Amino acid sequence: MFRSLPRFEYLSPSKVEEAIGLLREHGNRVKVLAGGTDLIPMMKWGKVKAEVVVGLGGIREMGVMEFGPRKGLKLGALCRITDIEKSAVIRDHYPILSQAASVLASVEVRNRATVGGNLCNASPAADMAPSLLALDAKAVIASSKGERVIPLEAFFVGPGKTCLKQGELLVRLEVPAMGPRTGGEYIKLGIRKAMEISLVGAAAVVRVEGGKCEDARLALGSVAPKPMRAKKAEGVLKGKKVDQGVIAAAADAASKEASPITDIRGSEWYRREMVRVLSRRAIENALGKIKR
Amino acid sequence: MGEKETFDVIGKPYPKKDARVKVTGNCRFGGDISVAGMLHGKLLRSPHAHARILNIDTSKAERLKGVRSVITGKDFPGIWYGNFMHTRDYLPLSIDRVRYIGEEVAAVAAVDEETAWEALDLIKVDYEPLPAVFDPEEAMKEGAPLLYDNKPGNISCISDWAFGDEGVEKAFAESYLVKENTFRTQSIKHGMLETHTCIGTWDSDGKITLESNKQSPYVAWRQLAMGLGIDPNRVRIKQTFIGAGNSGGKQEALAMDFAAVMLSKNTGKPVRIVHTMEEVLMMGHMRHAFKINMKIGVNKEGLIRAVDCLAIADGGAHSSIGQLSIYLMGAWMMIAYKIPNIRYKCSRVYTNKSFAGALRGHVVPQSRFAFEGVMDDIADELGLDHFEIRRRNAATPGYVAPNGFKITSCGFQEALQKAKDVSGWEKKKGKLPKYHGIGLGANGFISGGNIMGLSACSAMLKVQEDGTVALQTGATEVGQGCDTVLPMIVAEVLGIEPDDVSFALVDSDVTPVDGGTWGSRVTFYAGNAVKVAAMDARNQLSKVAAEILQAREEDLVFRKKKISVRNTEKSIELDRLVRLCQNKRGMSIMGRGYYNAPCGNLDFSTGKGNFSPAYSFYAMVTELEVDPETGQVEILGTWTAHDGGIELNPMLVRGQLIGSAIMHIGQTLFEGIIRDEKGKTLNTSFTDYKMATFMDIPKSQSLYSMHIVDPEGPFGAKEAGEGSSGPVIASIANAIKDAIGVRFLELPITPEKIVRAIRERERS
Amino acid sequence: MKQEIELKVNGQICEVEVEPWWTLVDVLRDHLHLTGTKKSCGEGDCGACTVLMDGEPVNSCLMLAIEARGKDITTIEGISQGGELHPIQEAFMKFGAVQCGFCTPGMIMATKALLDRNPNPSEEEIKKSLSGHLCRCTGYVQIIEAVTAAAEKMKTL
Repeated sequence: MFRSLPRFEYLSPSKVEEAIGLLREHGNRVKVLAGGTDLIPMMKWGKVKAEVVVGLGGIREMGVMEFGPRKGLKLGALCRITDIEKSAVIRDHYPILSQAASVLASVEVRNRATVGGNLCNASPAADMAPSLLALDAKAVIASSKGERVIPLEAFFVGPGKTCLKQGELLVRLEVPAMGPRTGGEYIKLGIRKAMEISLVGAAAVVRVEGGKCEDARLALGSVAPKPMRAKKAEGVLKGKKVDQGVIAAAADAASKEASPITDIRGSEWYRREMVRVLSRRAIENALGKIKR
Repeated sequence: MGEKETFDVIGKPYPKKDARVKVTGNCRFGGDISVAGMLHGKLLRSPHAHARILNIDTSKAERLKGVRSVITGKDFPGIWYGNFMHTRDYLPLSIDRVRYIGEEVAAVAAVDEETAWEALDLIKVDYEPLPAVFDPEEAMKEGAPLLYDNKPGNISCISDWAFGDEGVEKAFAESYLVKENTFRTQSIKHGMLETHTCIGTWDSDGKITLESNKQSPYVAWRQLAMGLGIDPNRVRIKQTFIGAGNSGGKQEALAMDFAAVMLSKNTGKPVRIVHTMEEVLMMGHMRHAFKINMKIGVNKEGLIRAVDCLAIADGGAHSSIGQLSIYLMGAWMMIAYKIPNIRYKCSRVYTNKSFAGALRGHVVPQSRFAFEGVMDDIADELGLDHFEIRRRNAATPGYVAPNGFKITSCGFQEALQKAKDVSGWEKKKGKLPKYHGIGLGANGFISGGNIMGLSACSAMLKVQEDGTVALQTGATEVGQGCDTVLPMIVAEVLGIEPDDVSFALVDSDVTPVDGGTWGSRVTFYAGNAVKVAAMDARNQLSKVAAEILQAREEDLVFRKKKISVRNTEKSIELDRLVRLCQNKRGMSIMGRGYYNAPCGNLDFSTGKGNFSPAYSFYAMVTELEVDPETGQVEILGTWTAHDGGIELNPMLVRGQLIGSAIMHIGQTLFEGIIRDEKGKTLNTSFTDYKMATFMDIPKSQSLYSMHIVDPEGPFGAKEAGEGSSGPVIASIANAIKDAIGVRFLELPITPEKIVRAIRERERS
Repeated sequence: MKQEIELKVNGQICEVEVEPWWTLVDVLRDHLHLTGTKKSCGEGDCGACTVLMDGEPVNSCLMLAIEARGKDITTIEGISQGGELHPIQEAFMKFGAVQCGFCTPGMIMATKALLDRNPNPSEEEIKKSLSGHLCRCTGYVQIIEAVTAAAEKMKTL
């Protein structure tokens, strides 16, 4: 039932270590609050319960965005979706991320929602996930033992579930530079044209040299228990001369390896079909964006 | 008074008078009002679609700190209340049975909302689940679980009538072509952003005051008295500003209203209850879902010979205004086209679901979706243009339908022609690229209607010593603009500015009794009443002015805040005249008027009679593009030509037409209540109850008024608010048919359905 | 446990005692009596509760009041000065952008944020920027026209 927020204790650490300490101390009684645009509604619906809420807003270091042409992008977990959407660096070096950010909910939500929050909710529909997967992003997780770095793909475990253990915090993402001759595209499909939770999302990042696909990553949202890489589809593209036939075959493969469900937003059949359509379009558009 | 040739006020795009308080945030909606000592109420709702209530234990909740009172259905006298005599099936709170998931069973008042929520968890209700039924056709079968023991076959009500000299069987037999199809429409909600809200106060005199966002306050007034078993004089409804109505729950007395006043009685404090959006979306009042079998027979020229329509309305657990709703499904057919023979039968069936009632356009969108679809298919088979078949059948001025509807002013032919011309139909139809389509929808509507009980409107006004006017009516401002249009009428008659006329919210102790705000009746009915009241005041002023100015009353002109004698220099300022009346003669100038439409009353049992004093007409063309791979629809343009009489305020009329169009684009393409197989509503939030957003509007929308004077309407006006809902679904559905060659029979026409249809068509 | 916090609302520092689970919209409405900010869906789907925080629009139903400490909050009550309406308010009145008015305060706040950042938005930019705001009455067109007119007006000021 949807109600006003239930009672909880609120703590606001200003350092990562302090936050980790609080997470350890309060164990499963605690929830982490970043932008709150998902957590607060879920708490109002009674879907998430917490006796203690740790608000991360005061941890400056987690809101940092850094880019170097070699080392790529360090994206603090607290970077807001708006920051990503508006960042000139991201627009120049990771246009696919600006694209994904710009279709996430509304301006108001984007002004509060964070990339870390979007990923930590582990919704299969999370708008930031497919593009970051397609960019081969790494998740940096801090705990009292220090930091560990894992591929973002391994971060998602299932609907609403991440690999974060008690006392761990996603602190940032590391995104490799896209490199030359590489293009990316995120396409999101909804029933109406705004304010949608994606029915299907597809992100493609493709590198082509001399007409041949040197590298390809295709990631999908809302069509599996978690945001997924379509690796068979990637395999179809890699090493091939990219033409309509290859793209169609890759899209077909993606459609087959997706495992969508039927829910009130759409049927399994439709989602699977749309994986085919969106994958094809995402690959085509990604190719079109490769700078000549 | 003879109508002036030109108007000073009428026809001008005056901004809404209440816009200033709305843009500054000063305007007080129900939830913005708090009263000292006020308690907060919450309602406990049934988790069962159908169950007997064996026991309710409120003791734990009562012991919770901060809880002031807990009530159940037994705190009320157990009187069924509702709209029509035979369909009174509401109780303030359920007593021994719940009939849908979300039905109210108990209520709590506490010092704050959090405590009230917590108290709900402590109320223990023992239910004995009963077999439930969700499909209306299943519910009609023998042996189906009954929602009400005295309603065999779960029939809430029936509308059953036939008209025409020949009879439909003979007319069909003689028809050149007969086509039929079965259409299904979905439940949609009113979608107002302001949820239902009330503050109930039961004072020591036994006077009950309900401050609430009621769209038809006198309906709620009577129902509240009825359900409490008291005389209406003990009830006072004070209207707050209303954050949109679109009919429905804001028309009637709701469980929350009864709960608030009873909790107030028990505690001696005012009690405020505000529904959450989840509650609004799970509970009753929504558009009826229909199954409509529509059969139309035509002669060789495409002239309609007969219509046979058999419909089933999914009523949900209560009747609301459903008796009217199901009559309307048939009635709307009698306005647009000349139908010499018709048979119509609709059963409204109880099911264990949140219930249906009235919603903007009251069944006309569903009715036209079916009718206009069959009309197009007939035209295609006859090789007739879609406009041409409608032109041949269109109602004309003076036409009297076999059921008794009397068409007076009628610009339907003109509207059809205009829509055809401005949309570029000739050069587009059949010539658009693949997956582009163009479609037409048309309809008629009422400008208010006379049903049983009070259908009239009345108005009172005071002309004040500074020359301004305080106007009171029973009409409700829900956003449509009567707060502006009714003062404009006063201003025109008395020669002042709309800003000089205040418009009062309804207060049942003070303002005139009224039939309510529904059926697009306010401009026509309340407008006429206001005009009469303004004329009454003007006549009083004229008598005195004629004496003072030594002129004949008929030579007086009220303009620019002065009363002048025609063709002379003689004049007196209005404010001065009022002061003279008051101070020298003791006359306070109070105008009074009522309007009782001369169309007679409708007989529901036979369906015979004239419904409305004037009928409006619409023709709308939609051009769209379908993405054949994703099924997404992009509406490229719409062209709507309408005969709503003279537009008293064109800016507000435009707002009505566009607003109505967007609302129904949502119903056509994606909006609707989704339930599981156990009757539970699954999309009880705006995340998944999808209404059209800024991004979903057509690329362009063009509107054209026919500017035809209606002889009965105030300054020639008819209506704009609801008839405009009529052609939208039909024209989009017909355009989709044109684009992909598939006639959709079920709403909403989602991208998924479109992709499936395209695939199936390609296969076959 | 109630905590006293300072909120800067419409230029004034307000000291309020809040529980940590109170949302900003409730504190604005119930404790500061700024009821111009409306409460509708409660979960960021309708935009009715939009206020500006450091000049950016946010859903006040999705924010804990406690997290608004030290931020500069502007509500609908704070954008007209000395009885003078803001040009956006004027335009909403004049162009028929207001019907029932329940979405209006949120819509105006989002428009202000848009025009402060982008004085010359295209129709598409207006639609995208406001797409988190539902309006069941107007069908949006007259709101877009009002925003466009307000932008024109503000350029001349």
